[in-house]
Amino acid sequence: MTKLLATVYKELLLLQRDRGGLLVLFAMPAVLVLVITLVQENVLKTVGESETRILLVNRDAGELGALVEQKLADAGKLTVRKPAADEEFDEQLVRAAIDRGDFQFGVVLPDGLTKTVRHKARQAVRGSLSLEPEPGSQTAQTPVIRLYFDPAVIGGYRSAVRSSLQLMVQGIEVNEKLDALGQLLPLKINAALQKEMGDFLPEDFTLPPADLQLDWGDAPVLTFEEAAASTGSAGSIPTSVQQNVPAWTLFGIFFIVLPLAGSLIKERRDGTFFRLLSLPVPYLTVIVGKIIAYVLVCIMQIVAIYGIGRFLLPLLGTPPLEMGPELPAILIVAISAVLAATGYGIMLGTVLRTYEQASMFGPISVVIAAAIGGVMVPVYAMPKIMQQISILSPLSWGLDAFLDLFVRGGNLKTVWPEVAALLAFFLANLAVARIYFLRRVQNKG
Amino acid sequence: MNACASKANDPSDRAMAVKIPLAVTDLVKIYPKAAQPALQNFNLAVGSGEIYGLLGPNGAGKTTAISIMTAGLLPTSGQVEIYGWDVVRHRRQARRLIGLVPQDIALYAELTARENLSFFGRLYGLKGSELGDRIAETLQLVGLTGKADQAVSRYSGGMKRRVNLAAGILHAPRLVFLDEPTVGIDAQSRNLILEKLLILKDGGTTMIYTTHYMEEAQQLCTRAAVMDEGRVIEEGSPGSLIHKHPDCGNLGELFLKLTGKHLRD
Repeated sequence: MTKLLATVYKELLLLQRDRGGLLVLFAMPAVLVLVITLVQENVLKTVGESETRILLVNRDAGELGALVEQKLADAGKLTVRKPAADEEFDEQLVRAAIDRGDFQFGVVLPDGLTKTVRHKARQAVRGSLSLEPEPGSQTAQTPVIRLYFDPAVIGGYRSAVRSSLQLMVQGIEVNEKLDALGQLLPLKINAALQKEMGDFLPEDFTLPPADLQLDWGDAPVLTFEEAAASTGSAGSIPTSVQQNVPAWTLFGIFFIVLPLAGSLIKERRDGTFFRLLSLPVPYLTVIVGKIIAYVLVCIMQIVAIYGIGRFLLPLLGTPPLEMGPELPAILIVAISAVLAATGYGIMLGTVLRTYEQASMFGPISVVIAAAIGGVMVPVYAMPKIMQQISILSPLSWGLDAFLDLFVRGGNLKTVWPEVAALLAFFLANLAVARIYFLRRVQNKG
Repeated sequence: MNACASKANDPSDRAMAVKIPLAVTDLVKIYPKAAQPALQNFNLAVGSGEIYGLLGPNGAGKTTAISIMTAGLLPTSGQVEIYGWDVVRHRRQARRLIGLVPQDIALYAELTARENLSFFGRLYGLKGSELGDRIAETLQLVGLTGKADQAVSRYSGGMKRRVNLAAGILHAPRLVFLDEPTVGIDAQSRNLILEKLLILKDGGTTMIYTTHYMEEAQQLCTRAAVMDEGRVIEEGSPGSLIHKHPDCGNLGELFLKLTGKHLRD
């Protein structure tokens, strides 16, 4: 036990004095988490996955303007800002505000919207019922609701917003036409009755306006439901923090291959390896000591980066990191991922001959595994062939397990395949390392 | 092969063999794809308190022999026993009895001398005040007490060699393998190391010593073997070796006579 602790202590001392290694292990993933999360948070805003800010200029004094305002406010995920009463906001200023990126889009409701829409609806219904135009009425121009988009807003989201507004406008239009129909239909029926029944109808007979109940919003006849394909009950979309903190933490964890493989190669190069072989302690003790030391360092790394996600990122305007209730399962996934990374580092340090090889192959292989594992671009956004390849990446197993626990309501039962895969990866790497170790003891070098 | 080398492993035979610090029998090492064996029928028997020199040009097989004798490399065939313990089958017992001073500065350069010695001492099974005392004694022996808390990377070449020696003798082993321990250092550090090795010898420590410095071997070794192409070509005390070759005035001339003057890579 003393020998094992001595090895752990020695490794920690060496790491503590390796400033480059510490930068790679702590500063790099911390900076990556901060930068990528903040950048992606902005990207999510442009695709509507994050809260969207809308500038609404309502020049209509009637009910319809108020109704549009109400519907936008009720839409969720939208922050509607209206200029103050004393604030002059012409379309030029709206365009400038959108250009500056202050808002993702702007809506300008024209003056007299309610009056014109109602007039147009009555005209349309009168035409449908073949009624004479109202005396003195002129054909009004169709009112235009002007929509301004931030150029950075992605096309798909832009179309979705346009469609939603279109639906809202059509709903208002149908309501207004029905309202007009309720008023004009009795006139039409009255005229028909007068014509058919002549003197049989009392002279002062008129049908009352139809009392149509047009508030149909609460009584849809057909609806749809969006269901999350989650393993748990409460499915939701990961925030940029939930996606990036575990993703870049895994990336940072796997970067321990560089100092770990480097330490093994350096021991061989310096002759320390042969001194260690001459000591009355199994070489496995030395390796286990290294694993324990690097597991401890990686746990510190995870705590630091998750701390950034939980406490620092919210100060910069992102949502805080929500990890769900399964903390023991998170710990098990984290330790499995760390073991997978240490196993890989030990394998590289045993198989590769020079530090230069390790410093090239180690980081490049981790970057590739991160890319195909969904760290940089989520797996679902990849082409089908890359999605199939992604299951080969241990980073993908780790990330999938973390997202299961953070977002999809998963627990230890649902993440055990990923945990088992990570542990199998660890053992497979140790097995390869052992084969090469025995070869070195057999043949030296 | 010397008759006192024992292949037996039962306690009674081992009790006899325990008087023999090192017995090497018919050692052969063939590296894959090598044109010729690195060691062929290499035999050695070293008695207690001896400083046994392994002399030979580059590629003669000295380091391969030391690597096998210290359990860092497996032989193709043959046997090595340390005080009766087979280094392959009873690796741990054999390792407890030996110390190794490798040709390289086999230390952690970022750690101080004290931290290095503390680490290796713990792996040798030392702990507590015994470990502290041994570190202090060893540092004093190699003249590094005042610089013990400096990182090894900041040491001069001579200081590194001295702390490399300290790490090999920290646990007071009965048999020490020294692979060119004075290579590339100044005369003062070399002199200090040689002085300290003689002190260890007087204390009963047995040493296997490789060097390219023939005057050093002549001064230090009780016996020496001249090796070439993986085998021992001459063995004896430095005096007897020179005596056998009257045309050679010293061990250096004898060495060149036995191994030739052509360059070795």
